[in-house]
Amino acid sequence: MTSDPHAFFTLDAGAATLAVSLVARVDGRWRLLAADAAPAGTPAEVLLEGLVDQVRAVRPEVLPDPDGWPDWTRVGSRTVPPPRVVVAGPSDRSTEALSRALLADGWNVGASITPERAAALEAAIALRDPGLDLVAVAAPDGLVGHEHDALLDVLALVGATAGLREDLPVLVAGRAGAGRPDLPADRVRRTHGVGDAVAAARDLVGERRGGWSSDGRDAFIRAIASLAAVLDLRVEGVDVGLDAGTRVMAAPDGVMRRLVRADAALVPPEAVDDQRFLDAIARWSPLADDAFAIRDRLRNLRVAPWRDAAGDGARLRLAAARASLERLDAAWHDPARERHHDARGADRLADPVPLAAPDLVVVSGGAFAVPPAPAVALAVVDMLRRPGAMALAFDHARVLAPLGTIESELDRRRMLAELADDILLPLGSAVVAPGLRAGHRGTLRVSADGASTSLPLAPGAVQVVDLPPGLGAAAELESPDDLFVGARARRALFRVTGGLGGLLVDTRDMPLRLPERPERRREYLDTWQRPFWTTAEP
Amino acid sequence: MATTLLDDRRAVTDPAGLSRIPLRPQPITAPLVSIRLRPGDEPLVAPGERVSVGDPLLRRQRHPQVAEQPLRARSASALAPGTRFGEGAELGGPGRRTLRYEGAGEVLYATPSGRLRAVVARHHAVVASPVTGTVRSLDPCALVVHAEGSALPAALAVGEPSHGTLAVAVDGPDAELHANRIDVRHAGAVLVAGSRVDIEGLTRARAMGVRGVIVGGVIGGDVVALRASIERQDASVHASPSFALIVLDGYGKRPVPRWTWDALVAAAGQEVGLGITPPQILLEPGAGLPAVDPLRVRVTAGPLLGRTGRFVRLLARRRRPAGVHLECALIDLDPVTLPGVVEQVEVPLADLERDG
Repeated sequence: MTSDPHAFFTLDAGAATLAVSLVARVDGRWRLLAADAAPAGTPAEVLLEGLVDQVRAVRPEVLPDPDGWPDWTRVGSRTVPPPRVVVAGPSDRSTEALSRALLADGWNVGASITPERAAALEAAIALRDPGLDLVAVAAPDGLVGHEHDALLDVLALVGATAGLREDLPVLVAGRAGAGRPDLPADRVRRTHGVGDAVAAARDLVGERRGGWSSDGRDAFIRAIASLAAVLDLRVEGVDVGLDAGTRVMAAPDGVMRRLVRADAALVPPEAVDDQRFLDAIARWSPLADDAFAIRDRLRNLRVAPWRDAAGDGARLRLAAARASLERLDAAWHDPARERHHDARGADRLADPVPLAAPDLVVVSGGAFAVPPAPAVALAVVDMLRRPGAMALAFDHARVLAPLGTIESELDRRRMLAELADDILLPLGSAVVAPGLRAGHRGTLRVSADGASTSLPLAPGAVQVVDLPPGLGAAAELESPDDLFVGARARRALFRVTGGLGGLLVDTRDMPLRLPERPERRREYLDTWQRPFWTTAEP
Repeated sequence: MATTLLDDRRAVTDPAGLSRIPLRPQPITAPLVSIRLRPGDEPLVAPGERVSVGDPLLRRQRHPQVAEQPLRARSASALAPGTRFGEGAELGGPGRRTLRYEGAGEVLYATPSGRLRAVVARHHAVVASPVTGTVRSLDPCALVVHAEGSALPAALAVGEPSHGTLAVAVDGPDAELHANRIDVRHAGAVLVAGSRVDIEGLTRARAMGVRGVIVGGVIGGDVVALRASIERQDASVHASPSFALIVLDGYGKRPVPRWTWDALVAAAGQEVGLGITPPQILLEPGAGLPAVDPLRVRVTAGPLLGRTGRFVRLLARRRRPAGVHLECALIDLDPVTLPGVVEQVEVPLADLERDG
């Protein structure tokens, strides 16, 4: 970027779509002037020129030299499919922590090579997969007896394959088996344990690929952290992409927890041939099509994710996004994740899961670009379910990840401080307050600008209060029963802000309970979601 | 401020905005055909070697198993991983310390407990080249051939690389191929099956010696069933000829894209190869491809799926079913029933595909 730029573009190149935006200085501050997105493969220049033309047609004075746009700076991020790793070790127990750590860092963990899981031939086939980026061997200290012998056997097999494949780096997490001559020294990195294995794995693959492949997802995480500092709020970021899902919780003083999961992609590649995986996604679909048709439509979402975005296609897309959020949430709260061996081999807690609801949830990704904002808001409330109140916003122009690539934290914060209002589309606020018993009635009172309205509060329902974007309000809940809103209370008061989806007040169970019978489940989903979709056809 | 650039600063010459419509997968000149190798596979060619369609590329083990023999000290250095041996071969030199496996195979590794593990098999199948070209690379994971002709990319493929004479087995790109239309006359052929072929049709095709089927769409469940059928066949005593299913456009019933249909009709009677990695139809050098009309588009989703037409102009965002707003284009649809009657429709850009 030049020393005094007046305008620049952001580009977020995802696996499915390319999102671009035009940011320029207007009245002394950075403003988002235009944004667009198109299927991946569309020439960026066409989209960028279109942005300039849009602005030129409306307010030509804000772009002093619009014809010079090809030379304007482009701040860009790119995401690529997560790297693939095979995890090997002497037992399932010993590989579990390493697999989980790599999964949580966005790796696509393929076959697991342990004596319990893979015979030598299957293991050798897995290790000769041309698409494999890394072999990670769990070699924790303190192995005895048959586990130690099994580790030496695994190291011999991995070493034999690595000797044949000069392109395959090997990571050994732990000191057990050190000194064995099986592994080629020039392509092996040994770490103390699982704690430092993830960073070492990134280095190894980064060296091979010419940079860590998760750049766009890391950039999104950095941007959320900077946003939390700028807004002085606890901010949660959720991004669902075609190849991975990302979730991050940040407080003003930094990232509290982060998670990137390949299996939380919109429709992961492995789902295409896995009927149970597809059916787990289809559980969230309100469509009445037969199961075969829905599975094929989900498969097509993987093949050409930009197609079929209207009508039932939009509903199915949001159902797939819901299922992605469900998988992200399950990994986020996975109790087995809590402990791992640190660099010195000691057992310690991983990043603790933040318990309280964030002040603001920011969703991002093409999966949320098409459905109406209220439907997106309900999906987030349904799938990332926590008691209490939170504001919801959408990174509609997909600007956060590109801004996250700005190296200077100061520059990034300054940019976000000026752009936050433009780049965060307010979806609304949500108050999740289960606890009202069947047959009982509470009261919801919403007050804003000196006016007040009261509504009955019913158990097991979602109510929407029209609250326009930008309007702050007080939401007061009163109930004859204890409501669970972070703490148990019969009366609770929250500050909320409006948005396109208004204020959602949700008294349904936590977690949501869906009927097992498909027809009944579809009815439930349809009943909940129907008011949030515009059903009138053009 | 630091910057990250995604640079592709080309001149823009698209005032109509046609390039906002996704481009259909373009034919590839001199494509690469990759064949994945498994432990125990024996390459029969070397890098730089020229191969023709049908030439043997490798010997693939059938019913491979891991066998192990005690590793005696003298033999250790001579039996490096990857060493291939024939049936009855004496490994590690003659004498008392010789290792001999039942079957031919490849050394996998030596265990720390002093045993040599190898993958061995008594029976083999030959994998033939689906294309004429030059062996570009060979490593323990894959054999890659640089083909001389061109390739039509596909969405997915199932089976093994194959080749045969191309035969169009249906009347049009949106017709279905039923099992009762496949018979022994099609042995050795690659059939173009239209918009869909079911598992009965695929099973019958394999039984009749058909070498491959090209189809617009396939039901996902039929792909699973076909894979299982191929695995069962592999587990049987007798090897069957290679067979490939090439799916051009995705899952479900989907017409063969019109331009690709025209290319296949033009190539009927010629030898074609079917590549699995990546999925593609391999045409001979000199095979003619239809002319490209830059304004011609195809509808790829929704109720007009498969219909073709001509791009008229871009439209602003339009409200579509379920209340979503999408950028659309105005299209003159090609007449279907009444010649000369042009129907004009608005279609979301993302549900279109242009020819070039």
